[in-house]
Amino acid sequence: MSDDELVDGDLTYASWKRALRDGDLLGQKCRDCRHATAAPKAACAHCGSRELETVELPTTGAIYSETTITVPPRQFSDDDPYQVAIVELDEARVMAHIDGAVEIGDTVRLQGSIEADDAPAPLFG
Amino acid sequence: MTTFGPHERTLAELFAEAAFKALDDAGATNDRIDAFYLGNTLGGMTENETHLAPKLATHVGITGVPAQRFEDACATSSNAFKHAVQAVENGIHDVVLVGGVERCTPETGLDTPRMTEIFASASDKQYEQPAGITFPGVFALLTNRHMHEYGTTEEQLASVAVKNHANGQHNPHAHFGKETTVEEVLESPLIADPFRLMDCCPFSDGASAVVVTSSDAADSFDSPVDVKGIGHATGTVPAADKESLTATQPARDAAASAYEQSGRSAADVDFAEVHDCFTGAEILATEALGFFDDGEGGPAAEAGRTALDGEIPVNPSGGLKAKGHPIGATGTAQIVELTTQLRGEAGDRQITDAETGLAHNLGGDAGTTLVTLMEARA
Repeated sequence: MSDDELVDGDLTYASWKRALRDGDLLGQKCRDCRHATAAPKAACAHCGSRELETVELPTTGAIYSETTITVPPRQFSDDDPYQVAIVELDEARVMAHIDGAVEIGDTVRLQGSIEADDAPAPLFG
Repeated sequence: MTTFGPHERTLAELFAEAAFKALDDAGATNDRIDAFYLGNTLGGMTENETHLAPKLATHVGITGVPAQRFEDACATSSNAFKHAVQAVENGIHDVVLVGGVERCTPETGLDTPRMTEIFASASDKQYEQPAGITFPGVFALLTNRHMHEYGTTEEQLASVAVKNHANGQHNPHAHFGKETTVEEVLESPLIADPFRLMDCCPFSDGASAVVVTSSDAADSFDSPVDVKGIGHATGTVPAADKESLTATQPARDAAASAYEQSGRSAADVDFAEVHDCFTGAEILATEALGFFDDGEGGPAAEAGRTALDGEIPVNPSGGLKAKGHPIGATGTAQIVELTTQLRGEAGDRQITDAETGLAHNLGGDAGTTLVTLMEARA
């Protein structure tokens, strides 16, 4: 990640998306309360502070919860059943598409991203 | 309310049936209506229909009064109802018509993949939808975590479906009118594990409506019941940012507010309509509302403690599971059931001595919840 990816130091969706396609999962950490998130926002969801620092999130984490989607939405309607999970990465959690089969507690690593309607999602496995 | 299930009629025609039933039931004429609050969630996406509040008001012969539409995913018409109650409490209006209407079945011309995509619009566009999440999937994530933390079982989930189908057979408005068994639920096809088809509420069409009046004006109408408190809370979205996936914190906050406003507690509640979009959601709700300790919701459902003759009957109407879930109509349909029960007019599903009822209606990933507490009028 280079600083010129950010607009006035803030993490935009466009920057998050570009970084993910390059294999980096970006998030934010609040400079005031240290709350971390993998879904960038304009202010901290925990304390309301606008002082957010862009951080590279860990690429290894643990499955916090998961489900196998058998009846998918339109964008995935040609896919075989697939898993979606919430992955715990130190202080932040992220929703991710799963490569392979996982259970709660399993260790997973960032494998890259998948695309649906020109929007990437983190791929863990 | 209309029956819930597939309907060929338009949104306006469905709504008119529910509105006229509510007005006639209350003995209210159009000239008494000061405002109209509408719940409709998906009409812009499913039917290219917006600006629905004045359209539907005109269709039922009400013009010239403030008419507005609310949208908070599946909690849509409870939020419309809350605003109506607050308006009459504060003297802004005396009488408000509140209702909800939605069409979600293939009668809209939309197939399951497209409707699944539209339902997923309540999840985050950038950080959730691209992962392939669906709404059964969102609640499956909450429920699988609950199963992991507390040992909740698939059989316990299935027992919620069995109970709600048993109740729904006594409800002439219900989408599904027949009983099922734990075995049938467990043999139905997977949708998003642990949920099988029979753990999920259906796509339904339908409408519901109620007349809300100030306390002073109430006695000039037929058979009023009292609204004692409405709590409305929201929580962090998207789901990955929630501190707990199993707490459904907005339900706890909304319930605390409703209990405080009414001076009642969970122990005072005689029956509840809760948002069982999926069987797991009912179990989480019965814990969040304080009926059972955390982790006890599953065993309580399996033991029959939430059955019609149990200690705290939950979803006597059949709930979303059997009655159906036309998104924007669900909240006020819960209010219709509370009213029917509190009047003692629920027939074969009547709760004995029902004096205090509670409605729990959530939206999105439980990020919005409204809890309404109502009582028979003394």
